[in-house]
Amino acid sequence: MKKLLSVVLAAMMLLSLLSVPALAEDQVLKVVTWDATTTPYLIAQKEAYEASHPGVTIEYVDVASQDYGIKSTTMLEGGDASDVFMVKEIDDIIKWQAQGFAEPLNAYVEKTGYDLSGFVGTEKNYCVEDELYAVPFRSDFWVLFYNKDLFDAAGIEYPTNDMTWDEYAEKAIALTKDGVYGTHYHTWLSAVANWTVADGVNTLADKNYDDLLYFYQLYQKLEDAGACMAYAELKASGLHYSAAFANGNIAMMPMGYWYVSTLIGYNKDGTCSFNWGITAVPHADGVAAGSSFGNLTGAMINKNSANKDLAWDYISWLGGEEGAAATASVGARPAFVSENVAGAMSAVEGFPTDETSKGALIPSFVGMEWPVAEKVADIKTIVNEEHTMIMAREITPEEGIEEMNERVAELFE
Amino acid sequence: MSRAEKKRTLIAYSFLAPNFLGFAIFTLVPVVCAIALSFFEWNGGDISRLKFVGFDNYATIFNVKKVSQNGLAYFFNRVDLGISLKNTIFYTLITVPLTIVCALALALLLNKIRGAVAYRTIFFFPYVASMVAICVCWSFMLMKDGPINQFIQAIGIPFNKSWTADSAMAIWAIILVSVWRNMGYYMVIYLAALQGVPRELLEAATVDGAGKWKQFIHVTLPQLRPTTFFVSIMMIISCFKIYDVVAIMTDGGPGRSTKMLVTYIYDEAFVKIRYGQASAISMILLVIVLVITIIQFRSEKKFSSD
Repeated sequence: MKKLLSVVLAAMMLLSLLSVPALAEDQVLKVVTWDATTTPYLIAQKEAYEASHPGVTIEYVDVASQDYGIKSTTMLEGGDASDVFMVKEIDDIIKWQAQGFAEPLNAYVEKTGYDLSGFVGTEKNYCVEDELYAVPFRSDFWVLFYNKDLFDAAGIEYPTNDMTWDEYAEKAIALTKDGVYGTHYHTWLSAVANWTVADGVNTLADKNYDDLLYFYQLYQKLEDAGACMAYAELKASGLHYSAAFANGNIAMMPMGYWYVSTLIGYNKDGTCSFNWGITAVPHADGVAAGSSFGNLTGAMINKNSANKDLAWDYISWLGGEEGAAATASVGARPAFVSENVAGAMSAVEGFPTDETSKGALIPSFVGMEWPVAEKVADIKTIVNEEHTMIMAREITPEEGIEEMNERVAELFE
Repeated sequence: MSRAEKKRTLIAYSFLAPNFLGFAIFTLVPVVCAIALSFFEWNGGDISRLKFVGFDNYATIFNVKKVSQNGLAYFFNRVDLGISLKNTIFYTLITVPLTIVCALALALLLNKIRGAVAYRTIFFFPYVASMVAICVCWSFMLMKDGPINQFIQAIGIPFNKSWTADSAMAIWAIILVSVWRNMGYYMVIYLAALQGVPRELLEAATVDGAGKWKQFIHVTLPQLRPTTFFVSIMMIISCFKIYDVVAIMTDGGPGRSTKMLVTYIYDEAFVKIRYGQASAISMILLVIVLVITIIQFRSEKKFSSD
């Protein structure tokens, strides 16, 4: 019996040794990302890269999107050797750089003569002391989605790319009746108050939050008029914005550009069938029309990777014109901006055909939702905590903003 | 030591080894590391990035500078640690007695009732059901126009807000769910203890003319004392470690009204990636739980010798 056991064990060890080396010319690039099986642009990118690079296989390491920040950091801390990590929040790359997980990229840029001009400056968010640590490949800024059928039914003119917030509020109230909500705010801070950073001057880390007051007052005016669902109910029911808008009784909704591909998918599979369009988000007085804020998605090379040159080839392709075309082909917005890319984006089947929607693809300015700044993680917690208090009407916007100012100031004492 | 004795000792240790190894790898080593880590600044990554900072982490979480200027009220109203301590203690002080009363009442009701088995299963069910499902269901029931609010409005209390979005009621929503979920489990423990109450004592009390209530107060309750003690200690410890209900139902909000010690630790460690400070907060939690455990160990002897 013992003999048999040892023979079996020895055989197992031998077998495991045999299975390790793959065929020599086939290269596998391990890319850590989130929701790899359900995100259309990830599927399109993988297909396009593998088609133009025979012999290379992209293998996604899939992490649930809500756990990505923690899980990916834990993997890196554990010495994971995956070649590429996608960067979900700008914070992540700053943290990973500080922790020593990110490969510096300036040398690669120089060696391959890589052109960064298509990123229109957004790549600077991935720089620490002028050294680049990741390549952006997707940039989702916020736009205004609207339901054309509800506007037609109410006989109200469609929103335009140069509408102000006050005009938007007027429309929202006019559209509200018989179970129709004029607009919809998701519970996030970004959906309600981030607009203040669209002027290119204010940021959410500038220690003064007085500029948020206008947007909280605007929100409360709309909530009081019944023009949007109440925050407290949304929070308790956990209603997702994608289902809310797809339900067909919401006329307008400010949301990130990523929702375009979701809506195109919904139209295809019959989840919803109304006509919709996008415009630039409204602008405040004195701020250029077409200004918005957004976030970046990028990719970095793991310092532990054994295949850094191939990893660079992949991430530079991903950010560049060809990768951008693949990203745009399914309705996602690449970070790389060019005429070709804009054309590819509006040519996607299911994208609204009107000129306004096309015009919304080229914003005049995109601020960052959260800047890279000292103690930004603490600031985020504080601002979000006070945001929930204001939104739940536990305190007035004025009181909440005073709390934000005071508590953030205390951080720096 | 004789050979036989040595052999016996070795055998004993070999039986203990698997359990101890698991304990050492997954509990002992991490605990020791956390104690050490609370004196370091570390944002993860290479171990070479560990920086010894002495008691700085403790000074930061207690916000010593501001608290020494502004007094204890400042600590409990403005500092994250003070607020989460206050919330956790309040939650524990309400949840523990409430759960005990409910569990004991259920146990007494179901002790001799017809169809008791079916009822016991029903009351035990929340304990084995998925926490996420429970919390989501309760969130719906506690909404503005939900059944709970309709009921309390019907009996004349003019409350018209979602519980989880109200900074005064949010913590009560969490207490309610916790009590409802745990009372079935502690009911089972009380049911077992009730079987141990000597019949002859109850009969003697009846002969002496004691009614049902007097029997309960003077016979049953004293007989249940060791159980009640055990139950309350276990519950205090688990209350201090409350995390799941808060994370699902309120995420510490609105504002900081349901921020607990463990949600605070999670936030520092895994959102802000400050393992040193998070470990320092864990030490506070460790000390609290340790003190309770020591009280339990000491008093257990007293109760068993009673």
